[in-house]
Amino acid sequence: MISMDSSRCLGCSACSNVCPSGKITLEDGEQRVIHFSRCEEFCDLCVEFCPGKALSISPEGEDFQISFELIPCQVCHTPFATRPMLKRIVEVVPEEMQRDSEGVSWVEICPRCRREMERERAALPAVRSRM
Amino acid sequence: MPVYVDVLRCIGCKACEVACKREHNGEPHIAVLFADGRAAVPLLCHHCKDATCAKACYSGALTTDGDRVSFDAAKCTGCGICTLACPFGVIWSDKLAHKCDLCYPSELPTCVATCPAQALSVDYDVVHRRARYKAAQASIIERRKTR
Repeated sequence: MISMDSSRCLGCSACSNVCPSGKITLEDGEQRVIHFSRCEEFCDLCVEFCPGKALSISPEGEDFQISFELIPCQVCHTPFATRPMLKRIVEVVPEEMQRDSEGVSWVEICPRCRREMERERAALPAVRSRM
Repeated sequence: MPVYVDVLRCIGCKACEVACKREHNGEPHIAVLFADGRAAVPLLCHHCKDATCAKACYSGALTTDGDRVSFDAAKCTGCGICTLACPFGVIWSDKLAHKCDLCYPSELPTCVATCPAQALSVDYDVVHRRARYKAAQASIIERRKTR
């Protein structure tokens, strides 16, 4: 069975992606719930691939799940990311790069809204010339 | 060496998207968005020099490699941190991350080869040359009017 150090879990989707027997499932809604079922332990892919090194193989254990609040996008308010994942970005990206050319902090904006902001910026020359 | 976009030329036909999809097993790495009915904008990876996605990637699947940001699918765990680390939202993740790879190792990206309006190019100066040419034309017309 797999055991988890929940303080290290990021709430990403690496373990549920790599599990070959589908024993780790991920559900997104208002919250992200990751459910771990008892497995046969013939591999340790989830342990190996876990970015936060939160998982380990243990001789016994029960099914368990962990849930994360999903942070809403600051533009469209759709829940899109877990707090530990955004924290990682704030940590590894230099502070001056966390703002775009107009000084808007993009970290808490969802990828979809980021694309729309980029579209507005990139379209400016064409929009101006077609006024 | 990213793909440069001349938005004044883009006709919004989405041929680049279709070509990219064909090249990459049904997952396009370029998205054509429409702005206010006035312009169409193809969005794709900028291949940033100081790439934030490569900084955030845990598994070393995303790395800056000379002029491009390369992606090694064999190393990707699909954790999705790169989609959150890209300031432009041009990395997608569905089990595996996918983003523009400039159709490496082929010489010309498929989107550039396909674009019927020549809005995409790998030559930085093309867009600027066109802009300078237009500005020069406009100033000549102005001068003729005032004469």
